[in-house]
Amino acid sequence: MNFLNKIIFFYYREYKLNMSGIQDILTNIIFFFISIFIFIFSIGSDKETISLIGVGILWTLLLLSSTLSLRKFYQDDFENGNLLIIHLNGFSFGFISILKTFSHFLFVQVPFLLSIPIACILLNISNDKLFYLFASFSIGSLILSCLGSISSSMNLMNQRNFLLGSVIVMIFSVPVIIFSVGIINMEESFNSLINILFGILLIVFAINPWASGLCLKLSLENN
Amino acid sequence: MKFLVNPSKFNEMADYLFRPLLILSIILFAIGLLFSFYLSPDDYQQGSTVRIMYVHVPSAWLALLTYTIMTLYSILALAFRIPFGFIFNTAVAPIGAVFTLICIISGSLWGKPMWGTWWVWDARLTSVAILFIIYLIIIFMNLSFENRIVREKVIAIFILVGSVNLPIVKFSVDWWNTLHQPATISKLSKPSIDPSMMAPLIIMTFAFIMIGVAIAILRIKTEIISRKSYLS
Amino acid sequence: MLIVQDLSIERLDKKIFENISLSLVPGNITILKGKNGSGKTTLLKAILNIIEPSFGSIYWKGKLLQKNLYDFYNHVTYIGDSTSSLKKLTLRDNINIWKKFFISNVNDAQIEIALKTLRLDNYLNKKVGTLSFGETKKLEFLRLIMENKKVWILDEPLSNLDEDSIELMKQTFEDHCGKEGSIIFSSHQNPGIYVTEEINL
Repeated sequence: MNFLNKIIFFYYREYKLNMSGIQDILTNIIFFFISIFIFIFSIGSDKETISLIGVGILWTLLLLSSTLSLRKFYQDDFENGNLLIIHLNGFSFGFISILKTFSHFLFVQVPFLLSIPIACILLNISNDKLFYLFASFSIGSLILSCLGSISSSMNLMNQRNFLLGSVIVMIFSVPVIIFSVGIINMEESFNSLINILFGILLIVFAINPWASGLCLKLSLENN
Repeated sequence: MKFLVNPSKFNEMADYLFRPLLILSIILFAIGLLFSFYLSPDDYQQGSTVRIMYVHVPSAWLALLTYTIMTLYSILALAFRIPFGFIFNTAVAPIGAVFTLICIISGSLWGKPMWGTWWVWDARLTSVAILFIIYLIIIFMNLSFENRIVREKVIAIFILVGSVNLPIVKFSVDWWNTLHQPATISKLSKPSIDPSMMAPLIIMTFAFIMIGVAIAILRIKTEIISRKSYLS
Repeated sequence: MLIVQDLSIERLDKKIFENISLSLVPGNITILKGKNGSGKTTLLKAILNIIEPSFGSIYWKGKLLQKNLYDFYNHVTYIGDSTSSLKKLTLRDNINIWKKFFISNVNDAQIEIALKTLRLDNYLNKKVGTLSFGETKKLEFLRLIMENKKVWILDEPLSNLDEDSIELMKQTFEDHCGKEGSIIFSSHQNPGIYVTEEINL
């Protein structure tokens, strides 16, 4: 029971932290919309073209803007020692990474999920595709959160070149992009593609606690 | 076989092996290039451009092989605490990157006359490009971490995570309909390649392996010397 | 309770320290003394099982530390060199989070008293980021009191504190020892606190 309480209050803590820095999350969203504007201005506002490539643009920008906030994933908690304190309160490093992954999903990815309908209006994507977009993004963003956890824990001790973290996330998210854009463009094979995405999610979810837990332990050891 | 995991044994072995390997690789390169440029026949479809194969295929194989061996050494280093694995990873990653680069460049030189374009976005080409970027990330990680213990282990973890790309590269031609032709040489079935082309290909592959091993020996020795006091 | 036996640690081929032994029984204060870079923090982290020792072993309640880790973590508070309070939140939020997360059995009145003695009660609605460094350091002691565990492991607790606060610390340490608690702390100066064991690194 104590353990469950601790998990609940871990999320209470994350909630408080994210709400106090809500401008960060909103800046992410603004970045996302501004990039949509720039994309539309650079390819011209022809409706046919935009609706043709709209889904691809949407997914690319979602990926790019969710990697923007990766730096904050573990860095703050690592530097002020909270990671160690949470560990000393009975959470293993792997478990911390799972909790943090869900917290990243809740506080960074879900706002994007909520802003998808507006982006769809801007990019002229028809309403019947909205369901597929939601389905693919809710699974895909969880995959992105797991990858983000792995890459940002790897780069905790790397003060010089943080962009490497974003590159790592982007290189492993290539299959995610392929399959989730495929879902929206090929609706008849929805079931098989969503199963593949789900499979990728399970693989990444299994790797995540091992890899990030190890990296967190390493960084704390050598800090 | 202890020289594969023990730095000092490796040093002894390397002293024996380096010169013969270098000489052998030069001889093999001479024979192989002679065969592939003058003594092997033209392809009835592709004409003379088929000779690019004698560089393209061995370098592709070795790019994959290098990553596979790095994966094995990462497992050894992380699970069995053998520091030689870390040395190997740091030393060999640039060699793999160069092989991948040779493979990509020769491939696109081959693609221009055959497919009419330098680059197509099919599964094989994309996954090899990703392999190249993974190699580059490994090299950059090597340069950008201050703390050596963290650096080595993080790179090993990254290599393990990145090894999911290996089966994708290997089987991409079977899983998807690609422009790239499927493998002509495999263990299980009779190769669909003429012996007159097979011979120079094999020779070139061995020449690539020899030169790869020779450079790897040099780089691993440098790496060992640079952290000598740590291992003694 | 806690026994450290012949502990040696090597990092990057360099020996940091060798053959350190210490034992911690209830009511005991141990001080680690040494220059900068002599491995005080490393030893404390080794005791917390964050760093693996090269040689030697640590026992908690008669068992190896690694085998009894969860029980050990239930009895230990660590204060590191960085301040762990969340800078973006107010002091009150921080206290609330700690109280719930540590499942603390310290009641509100006791916290009030502790805040008064630390002279932090005027800042309750201020953000921690606006406090001075010494005040955030004092906030760490509030966490110490709130966690209410048996073993305290403190890394440089006395640096950056004024004399009043050091006096207060002494009082707190003595109280804690009176309640069967035990303390390990590191310091590079002579703090003038009564200690039962002194270890020079």
